[in-house]
Amino acid sequence: MLKVDHITKYYGEICAVNQLSFSLKEGEIFGLLGANGAGKTTTFRMILSLLEPTSGKVTLNGKKIDYSVMESLGYLPEERSLLTKLTVEEQILYYGKLKGMKEEIILKRLDEYLLKFGLLNDKRRKIKELSKGNQQKIQFISSIIHEPKLLILDEPFTGLDPINVKQFKEVIYDLKKRGCMIIFSSHQMEHIEEFCEKLVILVKGNVVLSGDLKEIKKAYEKMNIFIRGDVKVEDIQKIDGVLEVITVGGEILVRVKNEQIVPAVFQVVKKRDIRKFVVEEASLNEIFIDKVGEVL
Amino acid sequence: MRSKFWFLVGESLKKKIKNKWFLVANVVLLLLLVGIFNADKIVAYFGGDFQNTKEIIVMDTTEKSFPIFKEKLELANTSFDFGFSLSITSTMDSIDTLKEEIKGTDKILIFIEPSISYLKASVVSDAYLDTSLYQLIVQSLNATKMEVAINSTDIDIEEYHHITSNIEVERILLDNEKTSEEEISKTVLSVVFPTLILPFFILVVFLVQMIGTEINEEKSSRSMEIIISSVSPKTHFFSKVAAGNIFVLFQAFLLLVYALIAFIVRIVLGGGNFSFASSSGIGDFFSTLMNRGILDKLYYFVPIALILFVLSFLAYSLLAGILASMTVSMEDFNQIQAPIMFICMTGYYLSIMSSMFSGSIFIRVLSYLPFLSCLLSPALLLTGQITIVDSLISIGLLLLLNYFFVQRGLKVYKIGILNYSTDKMWQKIIRAVKNGKE
Repeated sequence: MLKVDHITKYYGEICAVNQLSFSLKEGEIFGLLGANGAGKTTTFRMILSLLEPTSGKVTLNGKKIDYSVMESLGYLPEERSLLTKLTVEEQILYYGKLKGMKEEIILKRLDEYLLKFGLLNDKRRKIKELSKGNQQKIQFISSIIHEPKLLILDEPFTGLDPINVKQFKEVIYDLKKRGCMIIFSSHQMEHIEEFCEKLVILVKGNVVLSGDLKEIKKAYEKMNIFIRGDVKVEDIQKIDGVLEVITVGGEILVRVKNEQIVPAVFQVVKKRDIRKFVVEEASLNEIFIDKVGEVL
Repeated sequence: MRSKFWFLVGESLKKKIKNKWFLVANVVLLLLLVGIFNADKIVAYFGGDFQNTKEIIVMDTTEKSFPIFKEKLELANTSFDFGFSLSITSTMDSIDTLKEEIKGTDKILIFIEPSISYLKASVVSDAYLDTSLYQLIVQSLNATKMEVAINSTDIDIEEYHHITSNIEVERILLDNEKTSEEEISKTVLSVVFPTLILPFFILVVFLVQMIGTEINEEKSSRSMEIIISSVSPKTHFFSKVAAGNIFVLFQAFLLLVYALIAFIVRIVLGGGNFSFASSSGIGDFFSTLMNRGILDKLYYFVPIALILFVLSFLAYSLLAGILASMTVSMEDFNQIQAPIMFICMTGYYLSIMSSMFSGSIFIRVLSYLPFLSCLLSPALLLTGQITIVDSLISIGLLLLLNYFFVQRGLKVYKIGILNYSTDKMWQKIIRAVKNGKE
């Protein structure tokens, strides 16, 4: 179990992370969200013990994280971090050996992953000769080749097409099944919604939202209603509790203050010829924009 | 962690040594050393105008100077071996005819005629003359004049030698432990030593560049975060320093091997004889080393110089590593590499100048300073300007500096390697030093 306990980090007088706490059990995926400069990288570095927190502590299975447990940690940074002059094989061997692996095991697992990602023929090609998407795959392989117990994925889907995203997701789910704890950061909220049971939203180092995703959504009262049909927008806008009405691609999106407003909207539109009336919880993206916007 | 340290050292060395440029640089170095050691043989092997027989036509109107001149000129040419042979003939053609004859050729016309000071001569040629040949001719003419003069006077040959011989000068040193041979050796060594330490300067450049480039490459490619999430900054830092130092020591060993090969080639080319041309600086150097006075000093000079070299390599590599950790691009590193190179170059030039300013307190004080001491202290020690105690002070200061770099520098390195701020380099360094203190 990973426990991040009230960690704070100051750079001089600037507070990069303030009193951040969360915990993560085996087989869980945790979302760490925040706009640029929110303190995500500092948090990752503190978890990886690359930075010492000003206060608070990070423990893995009750022990402070240090270089004795580093071999069970995996990290995929947001930016490409490959030695581009090396071949794919040399690169993975280099990172694998740094994680204390034996060469035969690295090569065996590398072949499996390269086959999975359709890169087996590129094994001896230099990294710089690969496309951005394929470089990202190599970087991903390098972060999981040692089958980590705790994996930090910072924007893992950058530069990937939908097919490759699907392949990545399969591997991530596979790691989750095997009990790997995953901390996931992405600006694409649909990925967070798909993967994460729990999350934290950071703004300028401060926690603005944290907890179970379902509960966060439940607690966030605003709802979305999607209506398709012959409806007058002005009629809906007049309803008390309607926050916003937007027409998108022949559909009307009505944002309402809470669940109680939904029947009032339905009363107005039911007299009309409607083909669709769907009520949904607000998306994580909306919650993120709302919460981050409030603070900024 | 220890195995990871050696893994990183191995990877760094592999990267450097398996590089094609390492091979190219070493082939060039080998050829260069063989070339320098055998320059005279190589030049002679390929031939050229200098090997042609120099045709000298002498018009002697004194009717007694030619045989003497010919004898003197041939003897001088044999003694000094300028690499050309001489064909000396006498003629009584008219001067105008002879001038016409040598036009457009390499022939040299020497016109000797009587004068109030026994002889005077003209050296006529169409082309410029080689300085050594001209000097040879002038010396032989002087010798001829002397002999002609003696023959024309009552001075016997013994008296003549007394007049022309050099004054006898006895060198007396009040300190019984000092010898005049050693005094001469010092003068020679003060010139030769800078040549000897040139490879050290080159190796420092290699060292600083190797460490800087590697750290910079790992930082700018952002692979540093992955590496540091696997090994501690301390392991990483010392692996770079160790790899850099092993590399330069290996390169120094290779340079010695190349020098040995160059010697062997010289012996082979010389038909088994190990000899240098009289003009060779290398010949002077080895003759000096073989001098008893210097050999007596080597038993303490060599260990002190080696300790200074190794500790200085360490200091340069630690500094290069610490500074490189602050950079985010190669441009940044070049910016900080320049002052390191200037310091090293200052030491090099000061070691050359130390012979000119023998006894200078300023240079003596500078010889204690780390980074300069490796170049200055051995030079001053060998030429007797400082004592072993002074060199030991330099070693002590170097040890202290290295300890400081390890203690404080490691903290700066730990902060620096994950710092991608684009603030001014020196501001970042100062801030990191401050944070390192906390």
